[in-house]
Amino acid sequence: MTPPFLEILEINKRFGDINALKNVSLNVSIGEVICIIGPSGCGKSTLLRTINWLTPPDSGKIILQGDIIGSVTGKLTIKQNRLLNNFRARIGMVFQQFNVWPHLNVLENVIKAQVVVGKKNSEEAKIKAIKMLNEVGLKDKFDEWPDNLSGGQKQRLAIARSLAMDPILMLLDEPTSALDPELIGEVLTVLRNLVKEGMTMLIVTHELGFASNFADKIVFMDAGEIIETGAPREILKFPKTDRLKHFLDKLSITSF
Amino acid sequence: MLEYQIFLDYWPMILLGFWLTLKIVLCAIALGIPLGLFLALGRRSNYLAVSFLATSFIELFRNTPFIIQVFLFYYVLPFYGLRLSAEYVGILALAAFGGAYFAEIIRAGIDAIPKGQLESARAIGMTDWQSMKNIILPQTVKIVIPPLTNQTLTLIKESAILSTITVHELTMTGLMVQGETFRPFEVFIMVALLYWALNETIATIMRRIEKSYNRNRKQSNKDKYTIDITKSSGLFR
Repeated sequence: MTPPFLEILEINKRFGDINALKNVSLNVSIGEVICIIGPSGCGKSTLLRTINWLTPPDSGKIILQGDIIGSVTGKLTIKQNRLLNNFRARIGMVFQQFNVWPHLNVLENVIKAQVVVGKKNSEEAKIKAIKMLNEVGLKDKFDEWPDNLSGGQKQRLAIARSLAMDPILMLLDEPTSALDPELIGEVLTVLRNLVKEGMTMLIVTHELGFASNFADKIVFMDAGEIIETGAPREILKFPKTDRLKHFLDKLSITSF
Repeated sequence: MLEYQIFLDYWPMILLGFWLTLKIVLCAIALGIPLGLFLALGRRSNYLAVSFLATSFIELFRNTPFIIQVFLFYYVLPFYGLRLSAEYVGILALAAFGGAYFAEIIRAGIDAIPKGQLESARAIGMTDWQSMKNIILPQTVKIVIPPLTNQTLTLIKESAILSTITVHELTMTGLMVQGETFRPFEVFIMVALLYWALNETIATIMRRIEKSYNRNRKQSNKDKYTIDITKSSGLFR
């Protein structure tokens, strides 16, 4: 039996008195799209951030393609650090607040990491950047500064920046939550194309519509635990636990 | 009454003092700013020893009078076999004093960059240093230019204290000329004017740099920018 593409094994994380993640385990197969839903503060963003070690867990293991990411025992050695940076270069991450780099123009935003991390020459990186920006629909914005972009454009730029690194896995942390309602669509369109291309993705989201149409699996978390996992239809139409029922009820009320 | 002859007779001497002040100050800034950057990064280091040393240095030089620091450098260093001319002691003391302040300015500038900037750089695979160099520090420059300028002007004025350890810079020269002529008013007007001219020049250059920094960033947004200009440079400003 081949090991799963990404294995999240018994992750625990505390912030002071708060138990942010309690023994969370999850397997992800290649090409799978998993949406993580749950009330705010339930640990879903923390889970995403432990995968690329942006928030190192207290215990547990993250295994990508058979290799262990990071180490929970003390400070990382120089070798572990180098390994971690190699992993991160292949794991794209998209943030709620976009975090595009305001001192670089649109094109440079996409070129920078390719040159610094990927050690590409700038001509090669530029060609790739242009291709990626075309893909997310920003082809007429190459010379623009991020400050002059709309939220949706910023987020698409952030996605292009990640894609230029040829990631094998994308982590998206509420990619549309900071957007005005009329701008959410353009970002979801880009994500939909990624799904079609077979990108493996973990998405923390409140867009249940998107989740039900495009996720292979929905994971419902509450209070630092995974409560239910299943196909979108099962989760959204036939919730087994009261907590999930309660959560879905609240969402459908507030959506009016 | 002003005695104009004093100006005519002594300006070459005063200018010589000014020339030394200029050289000392430029050297001190050239050393102090890299030192400040180094200390700022050191203070934020994860290595306790490094951050302790950097913090101690900064606090020591920020919390003692500059004149005492100068005396310590001048009178104590020779005990440890380090015999330097007063000019070099002056440069070192100014650089250390300035470096401590520059460090705090740069540290505050780094801290002002939103946390997400560092996170996105780290998440894409950059090392700590690569993130600093490519993402954080370039954004910090813009923030720290005005306070760094301020501190530089302070440093130039503090250089007058080097006259107490026999550096023949501008203030010392002024004191000497005053001793010869007993005309303090004329002499110190010349001295003050030269300090003022130097500081004003530096302030103007830095303002230019700051402006061009902002302009470059707005290139692609010409329309908006023109509107801003007309608003802020009108007759009633």
